[in-house]
Amino acid sequence: MERKGMPTSLGTERVWKLLMQYAVPSVIAMTASSLYNITDSIFIGQGVGALAISGLAISFPLMNLSAAIGTLVGAGAANLISLRLGQKDYNSANKILGNVVTLTTILGLAYTVVVLSFLKPILSFFGASNETLPYALEYMTIITIGNVVTHMYFGLNALVRSSGHPAKSMYATIFTVIINVILTPFFIYVLGMGIRGAAIATVLSQIILLVWQFRFFTDKNNFIRITKENLRVDKKIVKDTMAIGLAPFLMNAVSSVIVILINHTLVRYGGDLAVGAYGIMNRVAMLFGMVVMGLTMGMQPIAGYNYGAGLYKRVNIVLKQTILLGTAVMTAGFLLGEFFPATASSLFSNDKELLDITVPGMRIGFAAFPIIGMQMVSSNFFQSIGKPGKAIYMSLSRQVIFLIPAILILPQYFGIYGVWISFPVADTLAAVNSAILLTLHFKKG
Amino acid sequence: MKDLFCITIGRQLGSGGRKIGEMVAQKLGISFYDKELLSIASKESGLEKDFFERADEKQAWSLFGITEYYSMNPLSGESLFVIQSDVIKRLAEEKSCLFVGRCADYVLKDKTRRLDVFITADEVDRISRVSEKMDISREKAKSVIEKTDRQRKSYYNYFTNKHWGRSDSYHICVNSSLMGAEATANLICDIARMRFGLD
Repeated sequence: MERKGMPTSLGTERVWKLLMQYAVPSVIAMTASSLYNITDSIFIGQGVGALAISGLAISFPLMNLSAAIGTLVGAGAANLISLRLGQKDYNSANKILGNVVTLTTILGLAYTVVVLSFLKPILSFFGASNETLPYALEYMTIITIGNVVTHMYFGLNALVRSSGHPAKSMYATIFTVIINVILTPFFIYVLGMGIRGAAIATVLSQIILLVWQFRFFTDKNNFIRITKENLRVDKKIVKDTMAIGLAPFLMNAVSSVIVILINHTLVRYGGDLAVGAYGIMNRVAMLFGMVVMGLTMGMQPIAGYNYGAGLYKRVNIVLKQTILLGTAVMTAGFLLGEFFPATASSLFSNDKELLDITVPGMRIGFAAFPIIGMQMVSSNFFQSIGKPGKAIYMSLSRQVIFLIPAILILPQYFGIYGVWISFPVADTLAAVNSAILLTLHFKKG
Repeated sequence: MKDLFCITIGRQLGSGGRKIGEMVAQKLGISFYDKELLSIASKESGLEKDFFERADEKQAWSLFGITEYYSMNPLSGESLFVIQSDVIKRLAEEKSCLFVGRCADYVLKDKTRRLDVFITADEVDRISRVSEKMDISREKAKSVIEKTDRQRKSYYNYFTNKHWGRSDSYHICVNSSLMGAEATANLICDIARMRFGLD
């Protein structure tokens, strides 16, 4: 998006109307981007088998780590480019674009070479067993080879968005989902390619979009374009981009490490299928989590502006409304998890053994969802009123301070159930923690 | 109003850049903007001045890159910069002005009738000036200078595609220790008169 001054209507228009205006597009965008992950898991679970879902779940952290490396360049560049475009500085915007292409290629290839050489030991370290390793290996070999494509696609898509075409970038995301939904079953069922088919479909759909992106960014009518001379690496741009990208990179990396820990514990106490069960829960939870994320993005400009303008009443209103909406969404997830866990998980697999683990897992794991919406919203709230320290502390507290000890301790007493219990325990503690921080904040005024 | 012009002044802390800027603006009879920009930006945006002051010529890192580029945080350094830049652009549109700092040279890069100046001074002079003005020891002054200039540099380099204090980022760079504030101001005025064809 091109950066323009803040519309002062943020301080006068009805809060609810503003919230809808800002939140709906971001909710749609976030849901679209999580759809791909869900459809992929569904096809793999239904078409390949229960162990394949486990193999896929073992691979999640590795894919997240790769995505984190992608954001190292992508997030920073998107931010910088929108700043430069806001000042109509097309020349340096072009340089940033060119540098993204070069940097992504270098970083992406380096990643591919390193990870591909050690893929087996890496996946074993991530918790793959003799049973799940073949699936994880098949899937990740192709995903890792296609890594450059994936990074480039996400990086350029962020630039499409930040260069003033948020709708185009959203359509691109939806388009990859559609191509995937067509190609994945074709490769799996018709060509009998197994889990490899899902990986090929993923990379292929990104290649198709990448071609479109390159056409978009070489179009003579576009005001930022990829040209040969802009591909040369510029030290200043590299430094600025990486400096902005570092924090999101670290946040993503931390959550990958936690998933590795969870997967390990699951294999130890519940075997391979438990990992698959968590994979399914993770996908379902993500769908709801992403909607809340979209809501908080919509809240951000409204809370930030009104806080900055000293209109604290309106800040309270938008916070309350967003917490209410977030809680409603997470409660819907809760209801699904408590009352229809079998229906939700049978979307991904019909394997009885797997479902027998997933159903109680989801019941327990989603138990604290109704109160976690508040935690997710308030973490973002602190960020939007210019208190990033508190925001970081809150979002880390749920995953690091509460979840890690719980995962390390509880399974020792309750076995596999200890893992599932860890989620509501960490969620509850994090929710209480955020309630305290919020109360303190409002007491201080 | 085709004959409007603007002068931008970048400066090291303690170089006397602000004072020289004031003199130049007075001699040429144009408006002078330094910190005043923050008050105007605050009034126009409705955001409290405090936020502009905290972000003034300092770079703050955004922490959740992802959410930052999906949505927009009005209190982020980037947003405040945009609001401030809009004020600078509008003022330069209305009348001839002189701006001190805040990347005005970059913000106004599309204005052809523009003169970008960077003012330095010998370290001894800068330390003396800062320790006197802030009533602190010379050692303290030295560290304040280093810190402030580091902040100005990272702010400028982040928000522009140029390098703070490097000669190719400006039209003229001048060391005020050479001839003192008054003569330096006169020099800039002379160049401005020649450049803009003033009498």
